[in-house]
Amino acid sequence: MSGTVKRVPSIWTTGSTDILNTGTWRSAIAVHEKRPAPCYGACPVDGEIPIWVQQVRNEEFNAAWLTLVENNPIPAAIGRTCHRPCEGACNRTEYDGAVSINALEQYVGDMAIREGWAFPAPAQESQKMVAVIGGGPAGLSCAYQLRRKGIQVTIFDANPELGGVLRYGVPEYRLPKKMVAAEIERITDLGVKVVAGRKLTGEDLGELEKNFSAIFVAFGAHDAKRLPLFTKSDSRVLDGIDFLRSIRLDAPLKIGRKIVVIGGGSVAMDVAGSALRLGQQAQILALEGRAVMPAPEDEIEDVIEEGALLHDGAMVKAVEDLSGSLLLHCINVELDQNVSPGVIRPIEIAGTEFTLEADTVVLAIGQDPELADWEDRIQVSKGMAVVDADYKTSRAGVFAAGDVANIERFVSTAVGDGKRAAYSIARYLGHQDAVEEGFADSVKEVSFKDINTFYFPTQKPVERGKVDVDIRKAGFAEIRLGLTDEQALDQARRCFSCGSCIECDNCAIFCPDMAILKDADSPLYYKVLDQYCKGCGCCLEECPRGAMGVKEETK
Amino acid sequence: MGYEIQEEKVFNSGHAACPGCSEALALRFILNTLGKDAIAVVPPSCIAIISGPQPLSSMSIPVYQTTLEASAASAAGIKRALISKGNNHTNVVAIAGDGGTYDIGFQALSAAAERNEDIIYVCLDNEGYMNTGTQKSSATPSMAFTTSTPAGKLSPKKNVPEIMVAHNIPYMATATTGYPDDLVRKVKKAMEIKGGLRFINVLTPCLAGWGVPDSAGPKTSRLAVQSGIYPLYEVENGETYTLNYGPNGLSVADYVATQKRYRHLSPEDVELLQAEVNHDWEKLQKKFK
Repeated sequence: MSGTVKRVPSIWTTGSTDILNTGTWRSAIAVHEKRPAPCYGACPVDGEIPIWVQQVRNEEFNAAWLTLVENNPIPAAIGRTCHRPCEGACNRTEYDGAVSINALEQYVGDMAIREGWAFPAPAQESQKMVAVIGGGPAGLSCAYQLRRKGIQVTIFDANPELGGVLRYGVPEYRLPKKMVAAEIERITDLGVKVVAGRKLTGEDLGELEKNFSAIFVAFGAHDAKRLPLFTKSDSRVLDGIDFLRSIRLDAPLKIGRKIVVIGGGSVAMDVAGSALRLGQQAQILALEGRAVMPAPEDEIEDVIEEGALLHDGAMVKAVEDLSGSLLLHCINVELDQNVSPGVIRPIEIAGTEFTLEADTVVLAIGQDPELADWEDRIQVSKGMAVVDADYKTSRAGVFAAGDVANIERFVSTAVGDGKRAAYSIARYLGHQDAVEEGFADSVKEVSFKDINTFYFPTQKPVERGKVDVDIRKAGFAEIRLGLTDEQALDQARRCFSCGSCIECDNCAIFCPDMAILKDADSPLYYKVLDQYCKGCGCCLEECPRGAMGVKEETK
Repeated sequence: MGYEIQEEKVFNSGHAACPGCSEALALRFILNTLGKDAIAVVPPSCIAIISGPQPLSSMSIPVYQTTLEASAASAAGIKRALISKGNNHTNVVAIAGDGGTYDIGFQALSAAAERNEDIIYVCLDNEGYMNTGTQKSSATPSMAFTTSTPAGKLSPKKNVPEIMVAHNIPYMATATTGYPDDLVRKVKKAMEIKGGLRFINVLTPCLAGWGVPDSAGPKTSRLAVQSGIYPLYEVENGETYTLNYGPNGLSVADYVATQKRYRHLSPEDVELLQAEVNHDWEKLQKKFK
């Protein structure tokens, strides 16, 4: 009997399930993946916006500034003047309003000036020399990027000081000169040689080519367009850019009491705002309706608040000389929709005639580059230098960008063009590693549906405050108040960080198979345990910001 | 930013739960919060499958697989035996499905609550007999399709959380996998309150049984809370009610739209369900101070 007793083992369990490879069940595996955010895709300088905004959120301000200046050396200036395509593209727009990216850029840019942060010196010097013609946004950006690579740069500028449109165009009340000066000094401190007050022409090209390995043409567009209705010699008719420049040089051109500005872009708004500050009356006559005027809506709103009268969707048909003033005969128009892109054809609306009396008419209908003496040296078409995707002109070693070569007349576009041209010039000079990091075409931009909004409580955007309108009209002091520290952090916290992991651990926390581990060695912070991942996709779904992708697997 | 969750590794990879299983996720948070000084009691259920297969175990603690009707009684017996051996520290936790809690194990649970046994009882509620092929249980909600209610269930879900409150036990809480920090906090709180039966009902959407994608477990769980169908709350000593997460403006229509078990519903049916949810929520709301 005793020999047949069945012995029951005290412990039946011999091991853990972790020896089972449940990963063999899956057909797809989630991967951590940095993906482009829409703000990045829209940014004219390819700014890594989610990264520096995240650094602001972490109060790593110097790091944020260093990330910003990778692509844009003048954030205090661009943080005031950019047309902000990033905010238009922001995924948060569909939720509770775009993140105030431009105001944050100004916040970081201003802090850098206040703290006196300098650019790191180039790691090694090269003997190659590049001449940059024009010290505006494109030229400064290009010179900066070339110096960072150790290339020797000389900027030639026709004006007494560098800055171009930033210093001689945009009025003080939108962009204080001291900010421009501080940011330019930081660039020249990198060892950029400056030859100011000398206007180079096409004639000088041969001489430059003897002394420099490459030439970058970025002198902008300063030849103001004219309307045939107005005679060039009439002292009652001014060009907008000349007027703005004269104010910047503290020698304002004489204007009368009643000003009519013709144009619908930023220059027109700046002229009207400046005339109001000089104590005159300003009316604006714009061909486009307000919604499609080239000037950003907030700039239009500013001058209207300050007392300008806007006649949008209208044009001048005839000018009558009233011995002293001019009488403009105007009519409302609609823009013909059935024209090819780039062509503007107004259709008059009968019976809407009106007149405007002007002591001074200021034309702000655009500018062309002054290329007359360049045409037999580089190819010019439609009033602009012709360049390829690498910013090369038809002449070897001569590159061009900014308003000289681009119909998109935005300062931030010029900064981006200047940067990309610098990379191209560096490659031309033998720096084959001068290639910008980007995303593979297969990596998709993060869209709003990739965002898990559960993790983002709604919070309205905060924009920069504005100085009281009476104070604004009394002088040229800056009209926008930068964000406070608290406002800046609040805005930074609103950023979804689309496509950029911030190590929230959600992917690891929501894995029912414990198949995602923190990995300090991975640039993407985590590793997926191949042997356990069953491919459910919970990590992907619970990632708040679309910083993961799926890799299909075929057995 | 992100959840702060401390885990002691008790629940292991390599288990047999379906991809994306909410029950496995719940087990992870519960077991890894309880830690190694615990004994689990598991009746026949998906949980029994996930804890096995013999001789391997996904749980690095002793697990006793009892009969379907006896989880609470078995856990109470183990706890009493530990105490008589002088062990007052080891937590004994019964982890059962809704079939083993709302239906078959209910008598043992009610009796253990009435005796106020010193155990933690967790119900992983996926609203049906999912392990055997999606039959209805008394936890299946109104109008939901199961293979035994092909036209939709005719009666509402049994309100076991409130029944447990009526036993005047020291702690009752509802939790779900879409709110992992809340679930972990409730397990910790249950561990701290000793000397009586602590009951946690955890809603764990069954991906196959409810007809949602493998990735949608946590999201579906949150929809249940946000639409007011499954408010997260806790009750101490049968009377002190605290609301943790209630409805936030989403409707029953938002909840049922993502689940195949509700796809036969007409807009009128959804309205009836909404009225039922509104009624229950109004009733419950009165209990919060």
